[in-house]
Amino acid sequence: MILLEGRGLCKRFGGVVALDQVSFTVDERTIVALIGPNGAGKTTLFNLVAGAQKPDSGQILFAGEEITGMPANVTCRLGLARTFQVTRPFATMTCLENVGVAVVNSPRSGNSGNWLPAAHEYLKIVGLGDLAHSEARHLNVVQKKRLEIARALATRPKLLMLDEVLGGLNSHEIVQAVNFIRRLRDEHHLTVFWIEHVMGAVMQAAEKIIVLDQGRHLMEGPPEQVVKDPRVIHAYLGD
Amino acid sequence: MQERVQKDHVARRSSELGASSRENLRFVVTDRRFYSILFAAAGLLSLLPLGLGVYHLHVMIVSLFYVMMASSWNLLAGYTGQVSFAHAAFAGIGAYTSGILAVKFGVNPWLGVMLGTVLAGLFGLGMGVLCLRMGGIYLSLTTLGFSEILRIIITNEYEITRGTMGLQVPGLVAEYSKVAYFYIMLGGTMVTLMVLYKLIYSNIGLNFRAVQNDERAAASLGVDVVRMRVLAFTVSSALAGMAGALFGHYLLLITPEIPSLSQQFLILSMTVIGGMGSFLGPIVGAFSLEIFAEYIRAYGEYHVLVFGLVALVVARLAPKGLMGIAEPYLQDRFKPARTAAAASG
Amino acid sequence: MFAMAAMNGLVIGAIYALAALGVSLVVGIMNVINFAHGELYILAGYFSYLFAGVLGLNFVLAMILAVALVFLLGVLIEYLLIRPTYGNDMYSLILTFILSIVLQNAYLLIFGPYPNKPPNWVGGSTEFFGSFFYGNQRLAALIAGSAVIALVFLIVKKTWFGRIIRATSQDREMAELNGVNTTRLNMLSFGLGCALAAAAGVILSPIFPVTPTAGVPVALTAFVVVVLGGMGSLWGCVIGGLILGLVENLGAAFISTGYKHVFNFVILILVLLTRPAGLFGRREA
Repeated sequence: MILLEGRGLCKRFGGVVALDQVSFTVDERTIVALIGPNGAGKTTLFNLVAGAQKPDSGQILFAGEEITGMPANVTCRLGLARTFQVTRPFATMTCLENVGVAVVNSPRSGNSGNWLPAAHEYLKIVGLGDLAHSEARHLNVVQKKRLEIARALATRPKLLMLDEVLGGLNSHEIVQAVNFIRRLRDEHHLTVFWIEHVMGAVMQAAEKIIVLDQGRHLMEGPPEQVVKDPRVIHAYLGD
Repeated sequence: MQERVQKDHVARRSSELGASSRENLRFVVTDRRFYSILFAAAGLLSLLPLGLGVYHLHVMIVSLFYVMMASSWNLLAGYTGQVSFAHAAFAGIGAYTSGILAVKFGVNPWLGVMLGTVLAGLFGLGMGVLCLRMGGIYLSLTTLGFSEILRIIITNEYEITRGTMGLQVPGLVAEYSKVAYFYIMLGGTMVTLMVLYKLIYSNIGLNFRAVQNDERAAASLGVDVVRMRVLAFTVSSALAGMAGALFGHYLLLITPEIPSLSQQFLILSMTVIGGMGSFLGPIVGAFSLEIFAEYIRAYGEYHVLVFGLVALVVARLAPKGLMGIAEPYLQDRFKPARTAAAASG
Repeated sequence: MFAMAAMNGLVIGAIYALAALGVSLVVGIMNVINFAHGELYILAGYFSYLFAGVLGLNFVLAMILAVALVFLLGVLIEYLLIRPTYGNDMYSLILTFILSIVLQNAYLLIFGPYPNKPPNWVGGSTEFFGSFFYGNQRLAALIAGSAVIALVFLIVKKTWFGRIIRATSQDREMAELNGVNTTRLNMLSFGLGCALAAAAGVILSPIFPVTPTAGVPVALTAFVVVVLGGMGSLWGCVIGGLILGLVENLGAAFISTGYKHVFNFVILILVLLTRPAGLFGRREA
């Protein structure tokens, strides 16, 4: 069943065309990767879907309902969570409070009064349990990424959009992260839409890969197919 | 042997926790701590009338007024980034509403204060909605425009407001007593601080501080940034209105000085110097600057100039204010024993 | 009555336009609003009074000296106060707001609260349409103001320096990549912005004597003009200035003098609500 669908999405910034008639689908309970060379429009697509920006034309449907142009906080409440490529922690707040923000604003949280237990849980899931009372600005880069994911998970989303979470991780950490993402799909029944540059991870985990190039949908398909496609190779390597 | 193993274990865990894990444990604010500090401070302050003379009580009353104004402005400017120049104007709305109702319609001043608070809050709500689509500078200019319009209207509508001569209003207590007004202002200050505490440290407070830190990230987690900004405007304006009304009835004379830009300047300076965006900042700033101002009043006409120069220097050299300077020292005090042991082990 | 008010409107309008140009320049290049703009305008007036009135210098020399001094002061202010705030608009707003109060009080202390006036350049008045006489000093002010505005247009549109200004206003990063020393440009632009305020000050001070706080309404009106005309548009400043000058004087003549300045703020709020880009401003992407 299709959870997220984009139809004919277009976005320009001044004279630059960021996205040109991009259409795509993401099935429920799958891991779908979004790849493409720099400037392909990947983060712009994320921004349109999440509501951080409005498309010039086109439609976005989430679970069958149209969400085109809805602002970020509304899409979040509908079940769309996203992380940012460059992490955006709430610097002067503790890790616990960072996650707490997500908990208190999620309509699926249940007990809205006391957010502490839930926040602790999510921190434990990403392995930040010991840093609950540390201020976010004191975390290192990898810890900030984990916090970002904890926050996104705490909104209890149906769809999790990850923007290049593997950047800066060593090979051991990458393996851990990929396993973690797989568990999100299998145990927590999440759908994952994932922008990534680390191809190895993408090949292992993704069931479908969508390729963007210069704002256009180049092709999509299972990993084995994408990696062999001459258009994809050309897009990345040039002539 | 076992002791050494334990110490090694602790040391290894500490290094795994990421950079400077020792410095990042901070003073956790809880309801119990806040209320006990607040009531302890209030208790201490309420002993003051025993020792202070009439002049010093006046200085304290004025300080408390500024604590209310600076703290409520901080909610708007420090926590939601809306640098409003209309805060003094909202105090003026509260003061004039209460005053005019008392003088023209014989309304009881206590009721007048409440009505003044409500009206100021409504204007604040309107202002907040008006300024929603405006960014920093435009918002500041709009509030500036509003403030000036209000002052001009007050000055011109002599029939109702007595213009620059000032409106004489009845007091809040039958027999005038500085001590009584001190307790009234103290009460008002406590109400203000409790409302602000509830707002900043509650679930809603999480949203406020999230918006303060990073609006985009907050929105991505479901925070309704628009609602936060309007809420901040409404609450801070209502609190300013209350402060203005109380102060007006204390002074027994309400003039266009209350909603003036010079008052706004004082409030802004106190908050900036004390520390914008921190809870204690405006309190520290208001008390210290008001007392400082009283000291330099001895220099005669120079005092506003000196005040301004101090404000300029502090704002330029210490943007986080006094609280920003004090923060590293305060952090040290709250390091728990276990990490201190790890550090020495 | 109408004609008189309209003439006043034109004269004041030209001066507002000039002051607004100063604001617009600084906003365009540095994205900074100098709250103390009015105080620098007044300072030039005080200098003009000192040099021409007290020291008896030739009035043209006095004016040039006054503007030059304010320019230098502007550069100093940029270096000390504005430069460290780069990127943070609110911080510079707060700093310049405090500065404006400091200056106002300094003037109060140094020059006293009573108005000071530099001597007129010309005396007498001219007859208009056979129906009323209009002061020559005011006419001279209108001509001088228009001349300076024309000079500014000339510099910005025709000279190499003007091209740098236009380029940096549009795209700072690009300009930097092309070798523009933006730090020095900031300093110069801020100084120039203050110099334009000073020019407005020396032109208007023989007509409207200077007091310590007289700069506040001028600065506020200049901000309104920039918003009304559109940030970054020179013609916007001119048209906006003239509109506001006319509205203010006609309003004062026919509706109410007390509420003269309210019209400006009402216009400000209306513009910000309906068309924040102003009449000629660039639409935000």
